[in-house]
Amino acid sequence: MLKVKGIDVSYKDVQVLWDVSFEVHPGELVVLLGANGAGKTTTLNAISGLLPLGKGTVEFDGKDISKLPGYKIAELGIVHVPEGRRLFPEMSVRENLEMGSLLGEAKTKRKETMKKVFEQFPILEERQNQEAGTLSGGQQQMLALGRGLMALPKLLIMDEPSLGLSPVLVKQIFEIVKLINNQGVTVLLVEQNVNQTLNLCHRVYVLENGRIILQGGGKELLNNTHIKEAYLGI
Amino acid sequence: MELFGQTVICGILLGGMYALIAIGMTLIMGVMKIINLAHGALVMVGMYVTYVCFTNYGIDPYIGMFIAMPVLFLIGCLIQKYMINRLVEVESILPENQVLLTVGIMLVLTEAMRLMFKSDYRSVTTGYSTDTVYLGGMSISVAMVIGFFIAMGFTLLLHLFLTKTDIGKSIRATAQDRDAAVYMGVNSSRITMLTFGIGAALAAAGGSLLLPLFYLWPDIGHLFTAKSFIITILGGMGSTMGAAVGGLILGIAESLGATYISMGYKDLVGLVIFLLVLLFLPGGFRSLARRL
Repeated sequence: MLKVKGIDVSYKDVQVLWDVSFEVHPGELVVLLGANGAGKTTTLNAISGLLPLGKGTVEFDGKDISKLPGYKIAELGIVHVPEGRRLFPEMSVRENLEMGSLLGEAKTKRKETMKKVFEQFPILEERQNQEAGTLSGGQQQMLALGRGLMALPKLLIMDEPSLGLSPVLVKQIFEIVKLINNQGVTVLLVEQNVNQTLNLCHRVYVLENGRIILQGGGKELLNNTHIKEAYLGI
Repeated sequence: MELFGQTVICGILLGGMYALIAIGMTLIMGVMKIINLAHGALVMVGMYVTYVCFTNYGIDPYIGMFIAMPVLFLIGCLIQKYMINRLVEVESILPENQVLLTVGIMLVLTEAMRLMFKSDYRSVTTGYSTDTVYLGGMSISVAMVIGFFIAMGFTLLLHLFLTKTDIGKSIRATAQDRDAAVYMGVNSSRITMLTFGIGAALAAAGGSLLLPLFYLWPDIGHLFTAKSFIITILGGMGSTMGAAVGGLILGIAESLGATYISMGYKDLVGLVIFLLVLLFLPGGFRSLARRL
């Protein structure tokens, strides 16, 4: 479904990604794992068309999308739930959800989708007229997820949804992610939370210093010595 | 007491029209994060369009504004698309480059108008220019009343546009978080173009409403840039509601200053309030509303 082929990305003179390649197949839940500064978010921004590629291509459903501007990529069904949630803080919960469904099919099905999102996250229905900036961290993350779902994504990209949440909430969010994946949405999850994500995903790519250094099945990598030492501290 | 009432009412009416101009500026500031110092010049160009419609074709200013608005909308879109957006793309030494560019645009517009119309003071005289209505013992200019209600009408329409339509919501979303808006599939360069166009059209509307009340000459733009800048700060930058309130406050302050101090000092009152707000309420009146 998504094929990233040997991309290099730089911020001005500083190169951040070197020859990064990975693939996401339809229906999968793939995790891109890496510590702070490994280049995870940069990779996602390159896919979403916010950063230009120095080298390599990004393909989606067999089409090269590396030259498309950001808003066109959203049209294709790649939906990005950004790091730090990035809600529109002075817009209401309902308006934030509406912003998720601006395009094509998502717009015509807005009411139905919103009903489904409210079923999945009852708290959002309760708070639908409240400004998004006044929600708690966990509620904001649910809203960010809900806003992503409003776009009827083919591929849902999530950047550190566990960031800044309490362990209970983290668990809850990951359960929801798994549920969304089970409903047939392909998910690319970027995380530093190794233990929980490796247990839940199909495949993992490990990014270190801007390079993919490891890949494999989730459970299989849990027993990998490098992963154990570097990320689990065992 | 009648004098005071009349002064305050005049201030409110005038302030409503100022607010319309300032809302245009605040909209642009919110989305582009720049102070548009050409805003007053856009008001001035809008006034000239309405003026020409009136003198050459006998079109009433209140109808002429519906010609001036699309003209300025187009000018605004072109300025954003071919000038300001280009500066966003290049790496600049000064981050203030876009603001400097608006100063340049202001100079070009002002001098272009001077070339065409000379520096002469002009005014339009309509049948109702000097008409007044009486409310108790207070006399109030008809042109001001009409102008105020049209301005309020436009403010309401803009509010509905921003809160009820997808494009309006996209404008607000872009102002609050541009990258996140792009993730949602918002074409941000089209939104900035549209926003500048709407801002310019509102400037033209405000200018046309003030045309029966003010003399028109090319440098009048500076006056409106200053006023809308003050109002934008008063209201808390980027807030439409704030700008509406700020407009009314500036209108009342100027009106009181003109009546009780002297006509020549009326702009001073606004500037003093501006300074006081900067010193003691840097977030503008919006921060007061937040605290409540």
